Amino acid sequence: MSERRGRMTTLRPLDETLWEIPASERADMRVPARLFADRAILEAIGDDRSLEQLQNVATLPGIVDAAMAMPDIHQGYGFPVGGLAATEPPDGVVSPGGVGYDINCGVRLLVLPVSADELGARKETLVHEISRRAPSGAGRQGDLSLRGAELDRVLREGPRPLAERGIGTGDDIAHTESNGRLDGADPDAVSARAHERGSGQLGTVGSGNHFVEVQRVERVLDESAAGAYGLTAGLVTVLIHSGSRGLGHQVCTDHVKLMDAALDRHGIDLPDRQLACAPISSEEGRRYLGAMAAAANFAWANRHAIAHSVRESVRRVLGDAAADGTRQVYDVAHNVAKLERYEGRELCVHRKGATRAFPPGHTEIPSDYSDAGQPVFIPGSMGTSSFVLAGREGSMRRSFGTTCHGAGRRMSRTRARKQIEGRELRSRLEADGITVRCPSNKGLTEEAPFAYKDVESVVEVVERAGLAARVAQLRPIGVVKG
Amino acid sequence: MNAVYRWVDHTAELELRVEAASEEEVFREALAALGELLRERSAGGAGEPARHALSTSAPDRATLLAEWLSELAFLAETRGFVPDRVESLSVEGQELDAVVTGVHAAPPHLVKAVTYHRLELREHDGGWHARVVLDV
Repeated sequence: MSERRGRMTTLRPLDETLWEIPASERADMRVPARLFADRAILEAIGDDRSLEQLQNVATLPGIVDAAMAMPDIHQGYGFPVGGLAATEPPDGVVSPGGVGYDINCGVRLLVLPVSADELGARKETLVHEISRRAPSGAGRQGDLSLRGAELDRVLREGPRPLAERGIGTGDDIAHTESNGRLDGADPDAVSARAHERGSGQLGTVGSGNHFVEVQRVERVLDESAAGAYGLTAGLVTVLIHSGSRGLGHQVCTDHVKLMDAALDRHGIDLPDRQLACAPISSEEGRRYLGAMAAAANFAWANRHAIAHSVRESVRRVLGDAAADGTRQVYDVAHNVAKLERYEGRELCVHRKGATRAFPPGHTEIPSDYSDAGQPVFIPGSMGTSSFVLAGREGSMRRSFGTTCHGAGRRMSRTRARKQIEGRELRSRLEADGITVRCPSNKGLTEEAPFAYKDVESVVEVVERAGLAARVAQLRPIGVVKG
Repeated sequence: MNAVYRWVDHTAELELRVEAASEEEVFREALAALGELLRERSAGGAGEPARHALSTSAPDRATLLAEWLSELAFLAETRGFVPDRVESLSVEGQELDAVVTGVHAAPPHLVKAVTYHRLELREHDGGWHARVVLDV
């Protein structure tokens, strides 16, 4: 059984959740392209360019096994969003476009020692306080304006220098992917322009699809893992979605330009300039990895600072005991390239809109989560549920330790805006018990729930594929958008 | 031919298309498009009048167009600059020099970057056509 797609691409099922475009489909593909999906998801991506983009990824020099995509795949630029590629040093390439502009965009989950019932009517005040303390960044900087050596220390060490100043805790850092710090960060490979963009942005959420969401644990689906993560039904959680802000955007911009200019010298021919890349061992490759690690560390520091603002909001509204008892469950990156080992080989794993999902017993997850597996957070669209997952063994065998990252867009921003007025969307969300703080009606409608795929069907596919398993469902009760 | 721009539906990004009588008009119209995009989403008042000189370079004209928009997006994020008009523009060889006017306001940090994905600037049917995809 196979399926012909709009641009005459052959997709054949390898099993009930994995589909493949063979490497023979195009002369320039070095490996097959594989997609975790079901038929409904294949329908949802329709005839957009995401599968063509996935095939383009399969042309990268040094790519191993297959170019892969998760069920939240949608069309991006260069790589599709939801894309994954592992390349092998020294001659395999690293591609800034395979990480994206928002380096280490990711999500962090906090859990309060307070139930939604106990929060009650104070929810409105809490959401307002969070919107005041964690600004979008446009027109108002964060409270942490770092320059020179102070900023470079954050680029090298991530949130650690902030914790030394009483911002966040060591326990927060211990419950962060890679302990909030990628080795090899090189602030000298981060341009003056990138430094300038980032200097006033620590602790700011940004715009677009970034948000801080107040939630209630609606349903626990795995008591044991949820217990390890400190989640019980009814508790209040706060999900933070942000990244490396302008600093990361500039790092990607700078290094795409440098690598684009060096393609001929490295003898690399690409179907899309946005896939600009260089051998991992080359000067361009090493410089990018140093700059990307610095931007990733900045992003972890940014979410660390936002989490501090959330805790201080909790302190103001609910008191010291609630603030001091607010615990970080975990923090995961979903736009990053990392050197990881699979079956004895060191590979550069590019995740663009995809999340690491290490299984129980893996040495790189916190010891208190060793039996449960690494937590993964899958934000739904605004107004719909988010899910907490736990990494499973299948991810190591099938997807380089990776699962999905969200619902995935299915509708353009323009189309979403035409479907509903901002005022009406606010009213609908409020009627559903969701308090909304967003300065722009346009920005709000662009992120309307119907602009995204159904997050439950995305999560169901990765669970059936054995990449990750559902632990808990979180229902939004308040949202702050940049 | 009057210069025109339009934004094309894209699942996750914004794709700008410009048609103009000359290459230079493409650059002017691209500024108008970005200015309009930022203006309609800016919070607060009209802002203070502002003027910036900028220079950039690139190996070809399509890339130079991307760099031009990239410079303007940088000014928007770091100075709150919303462009309105090109006071002077010189595009020669691999170099671009311009003076632009507008206001300092509080535009959203909307444009993360200007990509090279499907980037195009070419002459056809006696006019000039450009396509640039923005990451937003």
